[in-house]
Order: sequence, then structure tokens, then C-alpha cells
Amino acid sequence: MTTTDTRTAAPEPVLADRAERPSLGRLWDTWGITAILLLLLALTPLVAPGFLQLENLQSVLRESAYLGIVAAGMTFAIAAGAFDLSVGGQLALVSVVTLLAYGAGGTPAAVGAAIATGLACGLVNAGLITKLRVPPFVATLGTLFVFRGVAYILTQDGPQTLPYDQIGSPFVKIGGLNVAGVPLPFVIMLVVYAAAWVLLRRTATGRRVLAYGSSPAAARFCGISAGRIQLFVFALVGLSVGIAALTYITRVWTADGSAQDGFELKVIAAVVLGGTSLKGGKATLIGTFSAVLLVSVLNDVLVGQGVPSAYQRIVLGCVLIVALTVDGLRTRFAVPGSLRRAVAGLAGRSTDPDSA
Amino acid sequence: MPAESPVLLHVDRLTVEFPGVRALDGVHFDVRAGEVHALVGENGAGKSTLLKVLGGLHRPAAGEIRLGERRYRPRRPADALHAGIAVIYQEFNLYPDLTVAENVFSGREPYHRLTRGIDYAELNRRTAQLFGTLGVHLDPARTVGSLTVSEQQLVEIAKALSVDGRIIVMDEPTAALSADEVTRLLDVVRRLRAEGRGVVYVSHRLDEVFAVADRVTVLRDGRHVHTGDLAETSQEDLVRLMVGRDVSAATRRTGAVRDDVVLDLDQVSAGRQLREVSLRVRAGEIVGIGGVAGAGQPELSQVVFGALGVDTGAMTLDGRTYRPSTPADAMAAGVGFLHEDRKSSGILPDLSVRDNLTVSVLHRVRAALTRLLSPAAQTAVFAEHRQRLAIRATGPGQLIGQLSGGNQQKVLFGRALAPGGRLLVLNEPTRGVDIGAKMEIHQLIDEVTAAGTAVLMISSDLPELLGVSDRVYVLAAGRIVGHLTGDDRTEENVIACATTGRRVFSEVAA
Repeated sequence: MTTTDTRTAAPEPVLADRAERPSLGRLWDTWGITAILLLLLALTPLVAPGFLQLENLQSVLRESAYLGIVAAGMTFAIAAGAFDLSVGGQLALVSVVTLLAYGAGGTPAAVGAAIATGLACGLVNAGLITKLRVPPFVATLGTLFVFRGVAYILTQDGPQTLPYDQIGSPFVKIGGLNVAGVPLPFVIMLVVYAAAWVLLRRTATGRRVLAYGSSPAAARFCGISAGRIQLFVFALVGLSVGIAALTYITRVWTADGSAQDGFELKVIAAVVLGGTSLKGGKATLIGTFSAVLLVSVLNDVLVGQGVPSAYQRIVLGCVLIVALTVDGLRTRFAVPGSLRRAVAGLAGRSTDPDSA
Repeated sequence: MPAESPVLLHVDRLTVEFPGVRALDGVHFDVRAGEVHALVGENGAGKSTLLKVLGGLHRPAAGEIRLGERRYRPRRPADALHAGIAVIYQEFNLYPDLTVAENVFSGREPYHRLTRGIDYAELNRRTAQLFGTLGVHLDPARTVGSLTVSEQQLVEIAKALSVDGRIIVMDEPTAALSADEVTRLLDVVRRLRAEGRGVVYVSHRLDEVFAVADRVTVLRDGRHVHTGDLAETSQEDLVRLMVGRDVSAATRRTGAVRDDVVLDLDQVSAGRQLREVSLRVRAGEIVGIGGVAGAGQPELSQVVFGALGVDTGAMTLDGRTYRPSTPADAMAAGVGFLHEDRKSSGILPDLSVRDNLTVSVLHRVRAALTRLLSPAAQTAVFAEHRQRLAIRATGPGQLIGQLSGGNQQKVLFGRALAPGGRLLVLNEPTRGVDIGAKMEIHQLIDEVTAAGTAVLMISSDLPELLGVSDRVYVLAAGRIVGHLTGDDRTEENVIACATTGRRVFSEVAA
């Protein structure tokens, strides 16, 4: 073998990668919201002494589960550069169908119906998007109304409700049981996040979702089928709603077409707050997880302090706006010197009399 | 005739700079009333930049433009229109949902005295009148979106007339037109000249230039090379002026072309862009595809990669019928692909270098037992490619967007090799990379062919096309108009085939 090839003259060590230290910006992308959550958890007991009581903590975790489980599914949709506006309608419909199935066939029927209905909703969305070429925004906005409408039709004679005498049923335990003091819904949520993390980071499908979200045009020439990605993410969102509905309905016991009005925006807000980019290609399940807990803790504190619900919404909205503003500024001025140039540009413009 | 007519536009020592590049360097140029002045040059010669300065899109760093006696310093496109300069770019500025008349008089519609609304009767009458002066018939009430490309172009020309444009600048006006449409357009251009307007006509097609223009200016690498009467210039002179340098000798080749045909296209047609194309690529061979922009090069490459459907004709790969319906099919058959637009259709900007390399071979970096992606296997792929392609990255986790253009291109080259390297379809393999990376990429192409890979390389960079390829096909309007081997592989021949309608087919010893 000749050794005149200059390109291989200085082979660099491969595994001992210097300069592979992640930058502060990239650490922030993944862990920023978690840091804020920890800060909030440290400060909350000072303001709300009752927060640390076991029952309150259990309640916060139990309450966050259904939002968190759907947010895990939604993280994939947003990673692929789409989002699903119909999850509120899906949750209402799945909840109603699940209660109907429970009345007819008990716990196994209810669990099966929840998963099947959630998946079916996701497949309807995927079909509209991939077969009829309706943009995801429009398709899921439409099905949001359709799913809610169907849920209303199924509850024309009044909301579907779990009879009180069913309190001992295994189905109801899904929402109420504690495992070693941890509420079962939160345990389910942890399992969902673990599975979602493996799916996103350790499977070919997850990698293709990120690739497609990063650049649909480039992904096409990598042999990635847009239709399959969309089918996968929307079916996954439907599945996550199916699982979430089980923890939701066994906690609130009743559902009709109006259940969880505005849920879709809460889910999307949590995913975005967590650091997943709405442009697609970048996703963080750790961020989504922390953002969900952050929202739940914040809610709990505000409720505990007797803040009216109108103000709770305003606080949540402000948190979202601040988080995205910080993120936007960071991205915009990530290039060294860009901040200086932007300032110089503003100054230059004001001294340049544009008298054409 | 034009020699005595007044100079409408005078460009003097115009220099335009972009970060790191001098796009125009002291260029001078002028247009007289009642003349068609052709502007020619290779890709990147500076024609588009000059047009954009005239149209108010770029500001010059130095130099001066005069309109008659007045200095002309446009700051925005509206300034150009007010000054009577209408630039018709290749990408039209039309509202597809509005009518022809509404587009022509957009923002200057006549109003009805009584109703205060737009006077559509008057609008349509004036528009029809404009088309009358052009000698064409086009219904002013049709929506622009329903028109053909050539009709839309007439709308752009009518727009220019409606503001009484004294100078009309056309950028590659015939690039998307059929032969009949070209004839009609040239008639319109002659009418504009007869009315005493000045026309700047930018085209790659020298036969048109000779058919319609009075004078010609040649630009090369941002500099003015020649201005003269076309009557005193031959087509050969013009080609030589455009190329300007000695034709580079072919670079050395290490491997030999083998006998087995890897890719065979037989009368393949696809859409309007590709017509009855037949070609062959053998193992270890580099076949180049040349031609002016828009002649069907990307379509040809995408047909081979399964990204564009074949209408008629047949392809074979290694002698077997080859009908890929998706890029995944093509990759499964061992075909790799490099897109000509690295930024929009090549890199996955949010992914790391490692993930950009492995994205098309994820099935090969999975753990045997769990079927999950193995970080170690992925890093091994990265390490192998970094070594082989000399990719300068800080590590596998670095985002690809942080690499230089040349290193990004090497990563994408590695991705194209990943499907197995039976056939590589390379679109503009060194576009936008520096000289060093360019030589490295050429060396890599040479290495893979020495190992038996067949390469189909599309390039608008003539020295690359001729220096790297064993044989060259020239495309024009979707057809193969030249096949150059041996001593016939000259820049003159490529340009002649691509722009003049001349056909050159080398004798090939079978």
C-alpha cells in the first residue's frame, strides 16, 4: 500500500473526539426546561407550603398523565414538521366509546375499545393527509370537529358516566391505584416516555421521522417515503390518545362531546415549551416530559393559591410566549457576531437618509 | 442604423461585490434606441448580476449607469420601472389568479368616472391594444394561471409596454419555449426594436442571438470580454470568446473502463423534460452529461434514481429490467444519488454528521438481536467515512450545517456510496465547494470507478465535465444532441451542441 495519500496521512483518533463537548446552546435545547422545572420545584414550597404533601404530589402526577401521554405522541408529529389539531376531539370520542364498551363488556372491552378507537382516529387523519393530500393542519382541524360531533351524537341522551357502584372494578383502578405511592397513570406515562424515547432515538423509523422533519426534500432522496412517515406519526398520536383516555376517563368518570375543550392547544404548547421545534427535525422527549410537569405544577400552585382560572390561562400563555421568545432570540443570534451586526444594521439604517 | 441612434443606457466600469466574490468587475455595456443587444457568457459569467443591478435588486460597489444624460441609481425594483427599464426575469412576477389585463395594469387600473370602481371595459380595451402592437392575440379576460409559459411571457412584455418601458431586458426568454413559440417571440422582439426601444437579450442559445440581435457583449468571470456587431462575428468566434481559456487536458485516470454495461437507457421519455434519451454507462466508467440549465439534466438523474416516473422507454441495470418507482427501490438496487442542490435537497440540517451518513443505510447499523440502532455501529460508519473521504468534522455528533460546503459535500458523497456503489448518479458534484475539496471529490470519483462503480455525472462546469468524464452526452431541450468521445470532447463542441442546434456524434468503436 502506498503511503503518499495525504488525506490519510494524519488519521485522527476516532473515539476520543475532542471538541465533542456539547455546546451550552445544545444542552439548553434538551435540558433547559428541565432546569426551570427543578427551579420551580425548589421555590414552590416557599410559596405554597401544602405543595409537598404526599396527596398533593400524587394529584399533580395523576393529573399530568393524560396530557403527558398525548404530548409524547405529539412530539413525533411535530418532529415530522406536522401537528395534530384533532387530539381534543379524539380524546372526547375515545372516552365516550370506552365508557360505552365498558358498559357492554367490562374492563377488557373498555381497554380494547380505547386503543382501537384511538388508532382508528389516527388512521382517519393519516388517510386524509396521505391519500387525499389534505395538509395536516386542515385535515386535523376538520376531524377535530368531526370527532367531537360523533362524540356528541353518542351522548345525545346525556353524558356517558361510570356508575358509582363500579368503584371496585379493575378498570376504575387504572386511574385510582397507587404503585408504591406513585399513581398508576404516572407509571403508565413513564413507560410511554421510555418506549417513545427508544422509538425516537434507537429505531430506524424514529430516525426517519427526524430526517423527514428536518428536510422533506432531502429525505425523499434518502429513500424516505413521506406517506409512510405521516401514516406512522398520525397513527402514533391516535394510539397515544387511546392510552391517555384510559387514564383520563377512569379519573373523571364521565365524558361527552365537550370533554377537554381546547386540549389540542395545551398539548402542542407543552411540546413546544419543551423545546421541540415547530419547523420539524428537532425533538426532545425529555423536554416534553418536563414541560408537561411544569404546566401541571404551575396549575396546581395557582389553584392552591386560589387564583381564578382566567388568570391561570394568562399565566400559562405568558410562560409559553416567554419561552419561545428566548428560544427565538437564541436561534437568531446563535451565529457569532450576528448580534453585533444586527445592532450595527439598525444604527446604519437610521443614519441612511433613504431619499430616492 | 443603430450606430447613429441615441444611446439609451450606458453602463460604465460597473463592479458588484458579494461576500468573498466579485461578481462583476469593471463591466461596461450600452444599449441604443432601436437595437437588440445580446448579452452572452457561461454560467457564472455575471449576466444575471448585471440584470439585477439594472432591475434595482443589487446595488453596485463602484461604477456608474446613465440613462441618456441622467444618472441612474435604482434602489428598488419600482425605481427601474419609473425610469423606463423593464426587466423580465426567468421567474415571472405575475398574479396567477388575476386576469391578463389586471396583471398588465396592476396598481395602475383605470377607474370609472361614475361608479369609482375599476373600469374593466377600458382595462381590457387598453390591454388588447397593447397586444395589438405586439402583433399577437391574447384574451385580456383570461386568468394568467391558465396561460402557457410563452403566453405568460407575453403578459410580462405587455406589462413592460404599459409603463412605456424604453429598455426591455429579457433573461433567457426562450428557455421553456417550443420552436414555434420561439419564432413568435423573436417576431415580438423585432417589433419592439422597430418601435425604437432598446432590447437587452440574454440567452445561452447562440442561434437565436444571431437571428435577432444587432450587437453582442460577451462576459466571462465577471469581466467584459468583447462587444461588437454580430454581422462581423462568427458563431465560432463567439464560442471561443465565451470559453476564453485553453481547453484543459483530461485528468489522469487510474482504473480502466470495463466491458459490462451497468446502466442502459433505451428511448426513455419523461414528461416534457426528457425525450427519447438513450445512453449507456459501463462498469468503471464516468459518463458526463452536459448542456445549458433546464435542458433536462435533473430529470434524467431523477428518472435513473426512481424519483421521477418514466413515461415510455426502458431501462436496464446490469442487464436486468430496471423500473424503480421510488428512490428506495433504486437504493436497494445499489444506486446512489447526489442532488444538485446541497442546501435544500441534500443535507438534513438538524441532524448530525453521523446521522446524515447513515440515514440511507439504517438497516445496516442495527443490533442483530434487538433490531435497535446501535450507536457503536453508527459511529463506526462515521469513522470509516471520515477516514476514507477525509471529512473534517469535530466528531460524529457535530451538526452537518456547521461543516464547510466541501465537507458537507463529502458527507453527501459518502451517503451516495452507501447503497453499495453499483451506480452513482452525481449532480453537480463540486458545485459551490472550494478548489481543494473539488480536487478531493474528483479523486474520490476516480477511486470508486477504479473499484468498478459506474458513474453518471451531470455537470455545468465544463472543465470538470470534460476533465473527469470518459464520454460526454450533451442534452438540449430534453434530447441528446451530442455524444463526444476522445478528441471530440472539447468545450467548443459541448457549447455548440448545447446552444446552436448543431449535433455532434462521435464515431464509437463498438
